[in-house]
Amino acid sequence: MERAGRTLLAVLVVVAALALYPQLFPTRLNLGVAIVLFAAMATAWDVLGGWGGQLSLGHAALLGIGGYTMALLSLRLGVAPWWGMLAGVALAALFAAGWGWLVFRLRGPYFALSTIAVAEMLRLVAINWKRVTGGAEGLFIKTLPQPLGLNLFDRTVEFYLGLGLLGLTLLVAWWLSWSRFGYYLQAIREDQESAQAMGVNPTRYKILAFMLSAAFTAAGGALFALYVSFFEPHIIFDIGVSVELALIAYIGGAGTVFGPTIGAVLLLAAGDLFRNYFQQANLLIYGILIILIVRFAPEGVVGGWAFVVRRWPRARRPAAAPAE
Amino acid sequence: MAEVTSLIQVVVSGVLTGGVYAIVGIGLSLIFGVMRVVNFAPGEFLALGMYGALLLFTRFHLDPYLAIVVILPAAVLLGYMVEKVFIAPIAHAPEHSSILMTVGVGLVISNLLLFGFGAQPQSIYTAYSTSTLRLGAVTFSLPLTVSFFITVAAIAGLYAVLTRTEVGRAMRATAQNRDAAELVGVDTAQMRGLAFGIGIALAMLAGTLLLPVLYVIPTVGGVFTLKAFVVTVLAGMGNVLGAIGGGLILGVAESLGATYVSSGYRDAFGLIAFLLVLLFKPAGLFGRSRV
Repeated sequence: MERAGRTLLAVLVVVAALALYPQLFPTRLNLGVAIVLFAAMATAWDVLGGWGGQLSLGHAALLGIGGYTMALLSLRLGVAPWWGMLAGVALAALFAAGWGWLVFRLRGPYFALSTIAVAEMLRLVAINWKRVTGGAEGLFIKTLPQPLGLNLFDRTVEFYLGLGLLGLTLLVAWWLSWSRFGYYLQAIREDQESAQAMGVNPTRYKILAFMLSAAFTAAGGALFALYVSFFEPHIIFDIGVSVELALIAYIGGAGTVFGPTIGAVLLLAAGDLFRNYFQQANLLIYGILIILIVRFAPEGVVGGWAFVVRRWPRARRPAAAPAE
Repeated sequence: MAEVTSLIQVVVSGVLTGGVYAIVGIGLSLIFGVMRVVNFAPGEFLALGMYGALLLFTRFHLDPYLAIVVILPAAVLLGYMVEKVFIAPIAHAPEHSSILMTVGVGLVISNLLLFGFGAQPQSIYTAYSTSTLRLGAVTFSLPLTVSFFITVAAIAGLYAVLTRTEVGRAMRATAQNRDAAELVGVDTAQMRGLAFGIGIALAMLAGTLLLPVLYVIPTVGGVFTLKAFVVTVLAGMGNVLGAIGGGLILGVAESLGATYVSSGYRDAFGLIAFLLVLLFKPAGLFGRSRV
């Protein structure tokens, strides 16, 4: 428990440090909001993808459910965005339960393929069900109520909402790092048959992990919808978003408490920097980094760093892990 | 009579499109069969083939069908090198590593294309781009028909190589049992590189064949990556011959669905079939997987 206590302290320190961002970089708030939102959603992705070892490339579906539920309830029925967000979270968790029940009999690459298919189908529905979703033209959120006098279109407000969500997802990851549930997930990831032999029901825990992951991803999706305020199916449901979440988590370090957050800071800041040089081709850095990480530091920046720290004093295996 | 003609027309256009799906799917299937690696970037290589042919056409006025002669060997070499540099070193890593690696390679390719060629759609105009053949009341797009016959020739050639040559036998042996193949002296590492090379070459061939009839943008491949997955899963992953059937079924189903059910959901029919096969008949429609 001592280690868990230290990790909890680290979570609080990270959130407190990030809370200073709007003061430190008042002109780069757009980037800040994107970082906390993607860090939160990648941490949520990691519940299933990293801790549970089920590589999902369809999380855009959950992000889309969160965003669309909030926006549609608000636009069509005048429901306040926070209730809409909760509805989206509940819907996403339910959807994930059914989705998981359907596809968790598949393993490895087959599972990854099936998640892409489900997410693509939701995207097609969002494009074609024009009467409800606004179709390919997308939705534009014009006005929102102001809870406690807070303007939800204000970047500072959005930043702290995103940071709050990141804090929650970090607490979930922290809980996974010491709880029985977290150990079950890791056991399933390492060796499903052995976990089963020890009495862990893999399908049940994978579905629970998926629901947890889906709920927080959908919450992130709702905030993302506020952040962009105009969104189209091909942005929010795109496989590119799913891949981005997976890459952020893997590059930072999948199945670690802080990996996805580190990945989000690293990738979004790098992407922002590269946008000046490569225009739209800024995802190039994602491709290069994931290749380097898979090749040289399969446990991500966090794992690579731990490896270097462990090996440094002895230095017996030089150049084993270029960490960053 | 008019209905029958239009039905035949729809099926014909489905078969012609299905040929393109089949050839990308065969490449994916061959790679999976020999290497047990799912290549998540066939579409990006297809886009690379399209831009390669575009470049040869605009710089050297080389017709896309002639460009095949240049592009195919270059593509095999490129695929072989990509396998040696990026995939072979992680052969013993967990299986999600190769998925992420190919996703990364795909991202690098599509972003380099974006950087080099820009995001605007480009196309070439050849004398035959919009030509058609008529057979009774049914019309065939000339370039798609030519492409279809080239596809058939390529598949027949691949089949001959796989069944009639020593290299083909070694490659099939690697697919069937890697350790046993090693024991009887097959250089399985070479076979993996070669399988990846051929798989990539087929994707780039498809791109070259599509250039006369399709606008090219750096992200054109995403759609084809999905189609290739659908084709290989319908056929059974690793079932190379089945991928031909998978491609044709997908092409015709899409064409029929788009005409008679809903054009907006054109891409959904394949995905639904994909999920159903994946869940209820994971070995594919044509039985056990085989190279």
